Amino acid sequence: MTVPNISTNLLGAIGGVPRPDVDVVVDARDVNKYFGRLHVLKDVSIQVKRQETVVIIGPSGSGKTTFIRCINHLEKIQGGRIFVNGHLIGYRETPAVGRIGRPIAKVPVVGRRLSRSVGATKLVEDREKNVARQRQEIGMVFQRFNLFPHMTALDNIIEAPIHVRGMDRDEAMVMGRALLERVGLAAKEDVYPNQLSGGQQQRIAIARALAMKPALMLFDEPTSALDPEMIGEVLEVMKELAREGMTMIVVSHEMGFAREVANRVVMMDEGVVVEEGTPAQVFGSPTQERTKTFLSKIL
Amino acid sequence: MTPLSFIRPGTRRVLLAGCLVFVAFSVGGCTSNANIRPQFFWDAIFHPSPAIINGIALTLGISVIAQVLGVILGVFAAMGKMAKFAPFRTSANLYIWFFRGTPLLVQLFFFRFGIQAAGLFKWPEITAGPLDILPEILAGTLILGVNEGAYMAEIVRAGILSVDPGQTEASKSLGMTYGQTMRRIVLPQAARVIIPPLGNEFNNMLKTTSLLSIIGVMELYNATSVAAGHSYATFELFAAAAVWYLLMTTGWGFVQSWIERKLAKGTAGSAAGTAAGPSTPGWRGRFFRGQTETLGGH
Repeated sequence: MTVPNISTNLLGAIGGVPRPDVDVVVDARDVNKYFGRLHVLKDVSIQVKRQETVVIIGPSGSGKTTFIRCINHLEKIQGGRIFVNGHLIGYRETPAVGRIGRPIAKVPVVGRRLSRSVGATKLVEDREKNVARQRQEIGMVFQRFNLFPHMTALDNIIEAPIHVRGMDRDEAMVMGRALLERVGLAAKEDVYPNQLSGGQQQRIAIARALAMKPALMLFDEPTSALDPEMIGEVLEVMKELAREGMTMIVVSHEMGFAREVANRVVMMDEGVVVEEGTPAQVFGSPTQERTKTFLSKIL
Repeated sequence: MTPLSFIRPGTRRVLLAGCLVFVAFSVGGCTSNANIRPQFFWDAIFHPSPAIINGIALTLGISVIAQVLGVILGVFAAMGKMAKFAPFRTSANLYIWFFRGTPLLVQLFFFRFGIQAAGLFKWPEITAGPLDILPEILAGTLILGVNEGAYMAEIVRAGILSVDPGQTEASKSLGMTYGQTMRRIVLPQAARVIIPPLGNEFNNMLKTTSLLSIIGVMELYNATSVAAGHSYATFELFAAAAVWYLLMTTGWGFVQSWIERKLAKGTAGSAAGTAAGPSTPGWRGRFFRGQTETLGGH
């Protein structure tokens, strides 16, 4: 199968490159996450700047997928903070007060009011509606596409712009068709996902995420579930996005892709960021033993 | 083709055999047994009295309304059962526990007469234009629906659980709220799993309405019973009532299998869906759009 016609102006379909409000689009600080007793993320800190493409690599079970799922709060975190586009994701800071006015943090209490302790705050999970609003700015592409099987390709793309953003239906259809055309699937707008190949489905899934004009795109192993001959067409779309200045975090085993488009490569293992640097540094002269071992297995 | 070609051959054979047995019995009966007066039977079928017609209308109407109510309550109870917020879970569980754990007859008596005798609530008579809804009809329909909801809850829950969690994640990641995710993404897909047992429930519902006779609703069974009391044509009239019930359940059976065939086409991984090609796109859009809007009401 030939690599389809990917347009050179992908983001033109959604009115140009979305402009994040801040320079550091993703600011994850000391993120900790447990699955029961299993400590899957240990003080993970990653910053992603505007228009940067960061590729996260690492062996399976290293926590890389869990980490990007925390970024749009599909997973809860037990410690740390994640800011996207300047907003704290999934949580609210509240004064560190226990249920009966007992301070949580061991900080000196000022004054008679037990409820105010200096600078100490505690994280409370945010309301579902606020979380939903934050997620509008974060596009996500899944390993298994997760297209809505009861909707056509075009309906998949315009669903959220219409029902979440409140976009006018005709306007959304114009944008949806433009997106379909630019991922090379103009002829498929009335087709249901189960009649499309994996590569086609994944390109529609990318278009669906882009339709929300997100400030950030997350890719969770977007080519791992694809037949080898379809990987190219999906990577082509992602490369184009990176070239046009989309801010992206990609969890992937595609080293060629990482070498070509990543501004930075992050190596994770056992819930820890082992090494971080330009592709040339990480692939060319890794400093950590674990990175060397991993790369020798995968390259 | 045969005139009944829309019915599957297997079903056609069963129906034919049933008719033959029926005719044989009635012919045999009327020639050899002086206690049987076939005219009562044929009249009840071909020239039913207003009471019987009214009974059939009540049976159908109450069944449909109670089933719709049951589905709506079932959806809420299922979501309640799966809610994160404990009081929702507890109330859903209590509701299901009570209505599945007590006999419908007890519920009918308790809610129709019990609460009224205690002076807690009096069922009103509602007059809406030409329709005059008697208190027992109102009470019976509501109780049947609420009872049905408890059973539908488990069916709906199974349907919701059958939808790939990736669907919920995808819609969440697009910024959809829980309500939007349920209405637009999960429930339309769950419908495919819910429809077959729902059909079964409705078949039961058509027959269960006969229990409403105990609180005085003049549905088909009760109307037949009264007519038989006047004419002593018990055999003939109840045979006719059985035929009416069979007509209703059989008719519903056709509707149900039609819906299921429509739903089966184009399901993920089904060869039929892929092979059907251009004919498939339309139906899902049509069916599910209707579905979501009924469920949504936004």
